[in-house]
Amino acid sequence: MILRTRHTFRRAALAAAAAAATIALLAGCAGGGTPQASGASDEPKDGGDITFLIDSLGATWIPNSSSISSYQGNVWGEITDKLIYVDPDGKLSPWVAESWDQNDAATEFTIHLKDGVTFSDGTPLDAAAVVANIDVWAKGQPDKGIARIGLFPSANYVGAEAVDDSTVKVTFSKPTLSFIPTLGYHGSILISPKTLALPAEEQADLSNDIGSGPFVVKSWKEGDNVVLAKRDDYSWGPEALGHTGPAYLDSITYKIVAEPTLRTGSVESGQADVAYNASPQELDALKDEGFVVGVPRYLGFANGYALNVTTAPFGDKAVRQAFSHGIDRDEILSTVYTDDWHAAETFVQSNVPEATDHTDAFAYDPDKAEELLDDAGWVKGADGIREKDGQQLAVTLYANPYLATSKAIDELVAQQLAKIGFKIDIEAYDVVTYGQKVIGNKTLAANEITRSFVDIGTIPGVLTASNPGDEDWFKVGTSDATLNDLAAQVSSATDTDSRAKTFDELQQYVLEQGYFVPITQIVQRIYVQTPDLKDVTYNGLAYANYYTAWLDR
Amino acid sequence: MKSPYARFALSRTAQAVVVVLLAYVFTFIVISVLPGDPVSSTLKNPDNGFTQDEIDKIVAYYGLDEPLLAQLWTSLTRFLTGDFGISLRSNLPVRDLIAQALPSTLILASTALVVAIVLAALIAWGTQVLPAKYGQGVPRALPSLFLSVPNFVIGLLLIQVFAFGLGLFRIIDSESPWSTFFAAIALGIPVSAQLAEVFIANLDHESRQEYVAVARSQGLRRTRVFAKHLVKPSALPTVTVLALIVGELLGGSLITESIFGRTGIGSLVQSAVASQDLPVLQAVVSLAAVVFVVVNLVADLAYPLLDPRVSLERALRSRAVSPAADQPIHSPLQEEVSVI
Repeated sequence: MILRTRHTFRRAALAAAAAAATIALLAGCAGGGTPQASGASDEPKDGGDITFLIDSLGATWIPNSSSISSYQGNVWGEITDKLIYVDPDGKLSPWVAESWDQNDAATEFTIHLKDGVTFSDGTPLDAAAVVANIDVWAKGQPDKGIARIGLFPSANYVGAEAVDDSTVKVTFSKPTLSFIPTLGYHGSILISPKTLALPAEEQADLSNDIGSGPFVVKSWKEGDNVVLAKRDDYSWGPEALGHTGPAYLDSITYKIVAEPTLRTGSVESGQADVAYNASPQELDALKDEGFVVGVPRYLGFANGYALNVTTAPFGDKAVRQAFSHGIDRDEILSTVYTDDWHAAETFVQSNVPEATDHTDAFAYDPDKAEELLDDAGWVKGADGIREKDGQQLAVTLYANPYLATSKAIDELVAQQLAKIGFKIDIEAYDVVTYGQKVIGNKTLAANEITRSFVDIGTIPGVLTASNPGDEDWFKVGTSDATLNDLAAQVSSATDTDSRAKTFDELQQYVLEQGYFVPITQIVQRIYVQTPDLKDVTYNGLAYANYYTAWLDR
Repeated sequence: MKSPYARFALSRTAQAVVVVLLAYVFTFIVISVLPGDPVSSTLKNPDNGFTQDEIDKIVAYYGLDEPLLAQLWTSLTRFLTGDFGISLRSNLPVRDLIAQALPSTLILASTALVVAIVLAALIAWGTQVLPAKYGQGVPRALPSLFLSVPNFVIGLLLIQVFAFGLGLFRIIDSESPWSTFFAAIALGIPVSAQLAEVFIANLDHESRQEYVAVARSQGLRRTRVFAKHLVKPSALPTVTVLALIVGELLGGSLITESIFGRTGIGSLVQSAVASQDLPVLQAVVSLAAVVFVVVNLVADLAYPLLDPRVSLERALRSRAVSPAADQPIHSPLQEEVSVI
């Protein structure tokens, strides 16, 4: 009810002229997630300060630990560079690395660096600095309590060496096609070796974290704000962004406002320029008011459930298939989300380069679901719940606290599956309890998945258990020869074309077996922004690049 | 130990130290029995994908795999030397975090206290001075209204109207004077209700006294009676409630700080609780315990000096022999602490 009054109030508060002008400007660029450079006719202007309201600035600023956080990843993206740029379609292009090559076995990679790149403390970003960074990404600094970067292909990592000032050679023990794409991952940020040599508590002080990005840290206050200022001598941005030289904006202020309606309210009343993570239900109203809504999709897994074949009732393939065919994904899209969300086509997001459409393998078909359960001997009782051998067809879903819409989705799924005879219970925990009770718990029947990655080479490690450290999402272990074989082919592939072919088979197989049950494609980062802010681009991990942005005021 | 006052002061100080230490150990135990820790919960973030082995190594670095008693001993010895350790969540020294958060909370709390006192005085003034027709209804209803509307609703309303509507302040300049003022109003309103209740009750009591009837019969106007005769005797008991209100202000700052986007002890506690950041919680609880114990200690020690009717000999004896037989030293502060 607060929402309603607020909207009326704000609409009145907005200057009528501004609103009219912005709606006109918006028509061309409301489609979130796509670069808007083409539509703008005006020339970018230098100068301007923007304020970015965010739910939290995460835990620590130790680069390895925080760069993968959905909150701090925004800040790191502006103050640091990466070797390679990944665009929203998973296409790789040069950044600090001018070019790269690999041997035929995909075990040795040579990276050629751009000349003249420097960290903001003046030290050169040369081969030695890159080697120091790759080592820390791969191994972490366990003696300082600093973890490696999740999703880095550490298991096969042999080492990196500086061939000369601008050439780095990296060696792996097995074919590792995922290495180069991972250099564009949000965790793979280049930090001054001086910073990396500091003890953990000094690395946790953001003002010590020196990068080579278009912005530098001007000031910060723990748990409150971070202020970035433009770096005037910056000239090595990703070519794919079509902009060279320093950023246009003078400064970006990240300010924590925990209450979501106050974040969007501040943008609506013109007090701030960007609000992070609005609720999907609010977005249509915001668009109507003339605000720009960015809902970029990251490269990664679609949102869905990984089913555990060792836990009842999912040992039965028919039950897994019935579970999958019993979910009406269109209803979820229209109830929980807006038009900006897309239906899942497979178990990875459809912008992953190798993703292919396997919608039929998990399409909504309640009749087929009931038939599958009937044939498998699950009999409906008086209460509508099916039973077999005295066992109820019961599953508990654990709402994922990392995704705000998760509980609402689980509730809808529970209603839909109840119609075909499932008994679905839902439990919702806070992040800490969820980490304790749900993550890594091998006895749960279903685990909700939200995870980004840059390259499908990461996937075999989570689907099977052939190597130590593998996650074995479905607890299939080595029992399913087809799955293990397809996964091994993907992970040991030495060229991307043959890998894509195998991956197509793998997708079909995993979905047909009902191992992974996709729900929808995921948008984990939502940007609500003032229409005055032009030419914002988003990378493959769904982060905004304010390097290209400028203020039309 | 010759002077009875020195003995009294020493025993009370010793008690205070024990209370602080017990609070410290108690907090440690309570937090330790909760499952999980911030380090492994961060590592278990689904975006990462770490193996249990990797998580174990990092946890070992932070000493979180040691027996509880060993952890308590490390933490306690550090605390006794004035070192609050390193925050598990942010890896920053806890001392720095507190030093950064404390000033903002102190400014907010003291402004809110002023707001509360002014509001309470206005309401109380209204009940005594307005013509009976208005004086009985509106001002007397305000305290219960103020108490029943949640803090965050008041905060959100103030922001909607004064920040978004009128543009008097901006959420992002959370430390600006206007922003602080409105945050202090949100925090001060419920507190003013408690003050006003006590103040009004005492005013009502005093106004039934004969000297007030005398004053009125001499033709003094209501405002003059209020200012000259009622305020002073009624305000004294109200002042004793202030210590309780300090606790209320610190507690309420958590919600107010988060709504108004301020960093302070409240938001520090909130994030520490959410991530089970033991060293930070430990430090903040101990700080609160120290503040409370010191306030009470000062009151206790001052009481015999201020009130000659209190006999130290009897006070000391009463503790050791038979508390029921003697009148115990009465400190309003002490009572409130035991209530909390």
